[in-house]
Amino acid sequence: MNTVIDAHNISKVYNPKTIPVHAVNNVHLHLERGEFTALVGPSGSGKTTLLNIIGGLDAPTEGVIMVNGVDITRMRPNDLINFRLNNIGFVFQAFNLIPVLTARENVEFIMLLQKRHKKEREQRVRELMEAVGLSDKLDSRPAQLSGGQQQRVAVARALASKPQFVLADEPTANLDSHSASTLLDIMERLNREEGITFLFSTHDQRVIERARRVITLVDGRIAEDSAPTPTAH
Amino acid sequence: MLFIIAWRNLWRNRSRSLIIATSVALGMWAGTFIMAIYYGMGNDRLRIAIDNEVSHIQVHHPRFADDQEAKYSMSLDSMDALLRQQPDIKAFSLRSVSTGMVATTSGSQGIQVNGVDPAAEQATRGMAGFVTEGDYLDTDKRNRVLVSTKLADKLNLEIGNKIILTLLDTASNITSGAFRICGLYHTSNAPLDELNVFVRKADLDRLIGTAGRIHEAAILLQHDDALEAVYNWLKEKLPGLRIERWQDISPETALVISSMDTYSLIFIIIILLALSFGIINTMLMAVLERTREIGMLMAVGMDRLRVFSMVVWETMMLSIIGAPVGLFAAWATVAWLGKTGIDLGSLMGESLRDFGYAAITYPILPWHNVVQTTILVLITALIAAVFPAVKALRLKPVEAIRT
Repeated sequence: MNTVIDAHNISKVYNPKTIPVHAVNNVHLHLERGEFTALVGPSGSGKTTLLNIIGGLDAPTEGVIMVNGVDITRMRPNDLINFRLNNIGFVFQAFNLIPVLTARENVEFIMLLQKRHKKEREQRVRELMEAVGLSDKLDSRPAQLSGGQQQRVAVARALASKPQFVLADEPTANLDSHSASTLLDIMERLNREEGITFLFSTHDQRVIERARRVITLVDGRIAEDSAPTPTAH
Repeated sequence: MLFIIAWRNLWRNRSRSLIIATSVALGMWAGTFIMAIYYGMGNDRLRIAIDNEVSHIQVHHPRFADDQEAKYSMSLDSMDALLRQQPDIKAFSLRSVSTGMVATTSGSQGIQVNGVDPAAEQATRGMAGFVTEGDYLDTDKRNRVLVSTKLADKLNLEIGNKIILTLLDTASNITSGAFRICGLYHTSNAPLDELNVFVRKADLDRLIGTAGRIHEAAILLQHDDALEAVYNWLKEKLPGLRIERWQDISPETALVISSMDTYSLIFIIIILLALSFGIINTMLMAVLERTREIGMLMAVGMDRLRVFSMVVWETMMLSIIGAPVGLFAAWATVAWLGKTGIDLGSLMGESLRDFGYAAITYPILPWHNVVQTTILVLITALIAAVFPAVKALRLKPVEAIRT
């Protein structure tokens, strides 16, 4: 089965009893394994809300989301947390690393939550930090890293759990153009070489240009969806 | 890793954590030190009661305690012979006791006259050590009396003055005798001082007709632990007599000793309760400052139990790091003042003596209470952690990440 995300009729309404705001309105979304997809649209179009719903961080008012064949909208909160841990990688706009941990510990932490063996954790940390080009920053704390480096650590952390897909909310928004380009190179390479599925929201034209599929949201609805292009992997 | 995160989080706001740790240390120091003073006073009271006042055990004729009449007496020789058999008895004093009046040119007062063997009384309650002026009773001269400084002040008495002791003899006839004051004494128990005068047993026996008889046997043991064994032995050997332990004779002292643990517990709980609010406030600030971070942790898959544990660990550490410092400071303070003593008498005047306490208190660190206090600190930390931890659990990742 190559379908990773299958979202049907997703709607999210805020203040349904007073002044309803339709953040996401009847969205259907189908994501295959290995996609490198950008979710674009103006501010307030519902990109982040949709990502949060797909990632199980927020519940839809209506609709069903199947992740790898599992309906996450019916899960109990603790099961959902566990599901997120093992199936979904998150990259946030503000990096959101744990400031008191080193880069190595930030990446390893996710695997500790998964109760992986020490040897396996250490090996994966090395591999991921090498993949994001930060092998020499293993023992640096976030405050000692640039924004771009922190976001690369965040990507490594997102991949540490060997997720089904990675959700990235405006991953380049706080980066300069060079750092953004480096980050995109890394994400593209991981997508191409390791078949990791990426779904990211963005305003950044440079990111949009490198996506193989672009979904445009306007007022919570999908206004345009370019043809899905599977990875070359 | 949770432990490491909690520990490092603690030092993100170093001054805030240090302030809380310091207040915990100060609280622990104050609580433990006050406890040590209280235990020291309790121990002093116990030692004074046993070593200087009532001894470990007293034996009386069963009706003497109620009626105080001279006729209710016991055989001196048989009591002496019996008590010498028991190796756990360190010393004993066989007394004739009579209540009566002391009369002087300045006035009169009701008193208890204790007829004692000076050497035995010295061995049992260290009486000679309390003589502040004049001589103890170890003289060959007849009808000498030792009165307290308190009574002397009250009745305007001086060494060498004559006083008239009026008593009831064994036939319940009023009898009186003139006694000359040979010395003044001063113990740690002012109320008892005022009521008791001491004469040689032979002098009192002549007056009330109790030669070869005693009213009271005061028994000092080799060690406190032998109390129950000797008490039971005496009950077996002297079935018709009233045998009382120090707890029975001085119930107020027993109450002080038995309530020490309770008071200590209440005192420490009050201190910890006050500290817990500081800890809760600090941890609440720490959680609220890290809303986004906690939201991220929950988003990436940290379950509620782990979030709860992280906050609890952090709170426990915050509470616990100050505790050993406070306990060590308390130990050092007690070690020092345990040698030099604290002169509470200079602060509280005669009021301490009025309650039978020594003016100088030597604090004692009650180790079983230190263990109890340490456990209470842990429990306090755990309770203080609940509110911030629940606050953290209530965060919704999707909202927390946006802050």
